Amino acid sequence: MKISEIVRQLDLKTYSAGDGEREISGVVSGDLLSFIMAEAREGWMWITVQVHLNVAAVAVLKDVPFVLLASGRQPEKDLVERCAAEGITLAGTPFSSYEAAGRLWETGQRLRE
Amino acid sequence: MFEAPYVEEYSVQAGDFTAIGEASTKFRATLKMLGIPSEIVRRAAVVAYEAEMNALIHAGGGTLSMTVTPDHLEIRAADRGPGIPDIALAMQEGYSTASDEIRELGFGAGMGLPNIERNSDTMVIDTEVGAGTVLMATIRFSAAENQKSGEGRQAAEQ
Repeated sequence: MKISEIVRQLDLKTYSAGDGEREISGVVSGDLLSFIMAEAREGWMWITVQVHLNVAAVAVLKDVPFVLLASGRQPEKDLVERCAAEGITLAGTPFSSYEAAGRLWETGQRLRE
Repeated sequence: MFEAPYVEEYSVQAGDFTAIGEASTKFRATLKMLGIPSEIVRRAAVVAYEAEMNALIHAGGGTLSMTVTPDHLEIRAADRGPGIPDIALAMQEGYSTASDEIRELGFGAGMGLPNIERNSDTMVIDTEVGAGTVLMATIRFSAAENQKSGEGRQAAEQ
């Protein structure tokens, strides 16, 4: 499923566009950076409530092209700038990580490798 | 590819925790530029990031260096922090001495050293309480020797 389709289906607010054509092959949800360093794979989407600059560092280091901020969390300015510079899609939703993932699941797309 | 070892070193300074990852990101860019396979680059990125995070959180900074030779790379993190009194305990997944403030930012999950060990072929920790810690991790490039790929291990479990 393309990033742009996920953004549209879940009606997400986009802070950094990234590459909307990029295909997402899996999803990981979590707020512990080391857990994401261990679990995320290249081409996955990451759902989190962390909003600081290091989110971009983790995404870059793990080749994660799409970060979704849940629970209405607003990104810090430097996170938005860094994501834009690195070509990472950064979007937000008022839904919790649980509900955002649930809505994604309900689209009928099972994003898992 | 190249003959002489390539060495890159950065000073990791205490201060803004959210800036952690700068040195690791530079290492990653270098490895990509050198044409190192992306699976190796990802493992090196995890090792460097966790080592960088440890040096900043627990020791207030240090030096992070990477040496790349034709058949392996080595990441070395050195600090003058408090040292690790019990390495076996520090290696336990979930054990961390990080403060609540740092944990709220998503750091200090107690997964750093296990993540480093899982993604490297060898890991050596030289530590002295009150003097500091030196961590050295190597990743070999030869596929036949790369039995300890973190992602490969997880894939096998699924």
